[in-house]
Amino acid sequence: MNNKTEAPGWFARLRRPSSHWSVLTLLLVGVVAGVVLWGGFNTVVEATNKESFCIGCHEMRDNVYKEYSENTIHYTNRTGVRAVCADCHVPKEWGPKMLRKIQASRELWGKMVGTIDTREKFEAKRLTLAEREWARMKANDSLECRNCHTLASMDTEKQKPRARKSHELAVKNNETCIDCHKGIAHHKPKGMKEDDE
Amino acid sequence: MSHILHPTRIAVAAAALAFGALPAFAAAPDWGKVPAAKITVFYPGVSPIEWITKGSEHGGARALRKGETCASCHHDETADMGKKMATGQKLEPSPIKGKAGSIPVQVQAAHDGANLYVRFSWKQPAGGADKMDKDNAVKLAFMLEDNKIPGANLSGCWETCHSDARTMPEGKDDKKTKYVKDGSVAGGKYYDIVQWTSKGAKHDGYIADKRVMDGGKALVDAKGEKKGDEWSVVFTRKLAGGEGDVALASGKTYNFGFAIHDDHSAGRYHHVSLGYQLGIDTKGDVTANKQ
Repeated sequence: MNNKTEAPGWFARLRRPSSHWSVLTLLLVGVVAGVVLWGGFNTVVEATNKESFCIGCHEMRDNVYKEYSENTIHYTNRTGVRAVCADCHVPKEWGPKMLRKIQASRELWGKMVGTIDTREKFEAKRLTLAEREWARMKANDSLECRNCHTLASMDTEKQKPRARKSHELAVKNNETCIDCHKGIAHHKPKGMKEDDE
Repeated sequence: MSHILHPTRIAVAAAALAFGALPAFAAAPDWGKVPAAKITVFYPGVSPIEWITKGSEHGGARALRKGETCASCHHDETADMGKKMATGQKLEPSPIKGKAGSIPVQVQAAHDGANLYVRFSWKQPAGGADKMDKDNAVKLAFMLEDNKIPGANLSGCWETCHSDARTMPEGKDDKKTKYVKDGSVAGGKYYDIVQWTSKGAKHDGYIADKRVMDGGKALVDAKGEKKGDEWSVVFTRKLAGGEGDVALASGKTYNFGFAIHDDHSAGRYHHVSLGYQLGIDTKGDVTANKQ
């Protein structure tokens, strides 16, 4: 008898059919709550994709961002199209983007323990960091580059001979953007392997 | 004029064939009838073969490894490249004020069965730098290679240009000039070089494990003149030759490149061509047909 008068647990309450709210109300509340939660989640994720977020850390602002904003084609160009950090370093598709965000959470640890909190430490680790990023881009067939550029949509006739030749070779040899286009937004690290270009 | 001399040339050619290295009679062709290839020589800064082949420095190293020539990518942009280097924007730690970035040169070639004639003409660019070579306002040299040195068909004279040569920033030895890795005259791995200087000297040598500027037997004459601000230099060279000379045969192509030391310059401060092909009675970037 005593068991019957005891208040049900929160999980049991969740499982019990509602005797008070209509199905429509529950559905509407659920949909609104879902939109708010999902939208809020994505808004936070989008916020972490903003340049201002990336350079909120002095490690990024004083090193890679400074180099990128000196005079690189993705920062300033004839047509005024700018690619910010996330355009090159975070995939656009949701799945790969979430994976990248999860991977990036290790950077928080790096921030806490100060892995690259001085210029000297950054320079010492630059090669490792760069090689890691090149490997990531190589593995995904330069996905972020291809969000805007594809070999198929290039008019090689409008390119300089050396670019035309290189892109023709890339098609022929099934190469990907990052195979050649390393160090186009940041300084190249010292000690690069000679085969890296 | 040429048809009057023609029998003489045939006789000389026949004699040369019959008796070997007889002095060949030099009769330059009518240059007005010989088509000219336009090749722009450019200021190369510090870009030795070690830089050219280092992928992390030079993106084209990848294409070079795939068998592409330097000219296939750069032929049309040598003027831009030269400007970048002459002004110190790239690959030049000590730019010379007023140094021309490039010089467009007309190159003509012909032969008469005994001699190869090569004519270079160009307009003197502005200058006025300190004189490194006080004796010579201008020097011009060209090199030939008989497809024996790996890479010579792609990168031309760059196979002889190294970071440890004299006047290079890394060059410690003032006596160290051009050389070919594993070069040897006996093994055929050498570049034949001839040079004309505005003071009036002419040199016929080779570049193998080291550079030797004289002793060749192929060069008959090298003459240059300046009319107004136009230079023209004509080399007369036997098709055959001795040790360190590339023997030229009809129907074959040879690796060819040339350089101008302009404005009293010396050492690495020259203007150079990319690597090209000289064809003897066969199509090359520069073709020497029989006249």
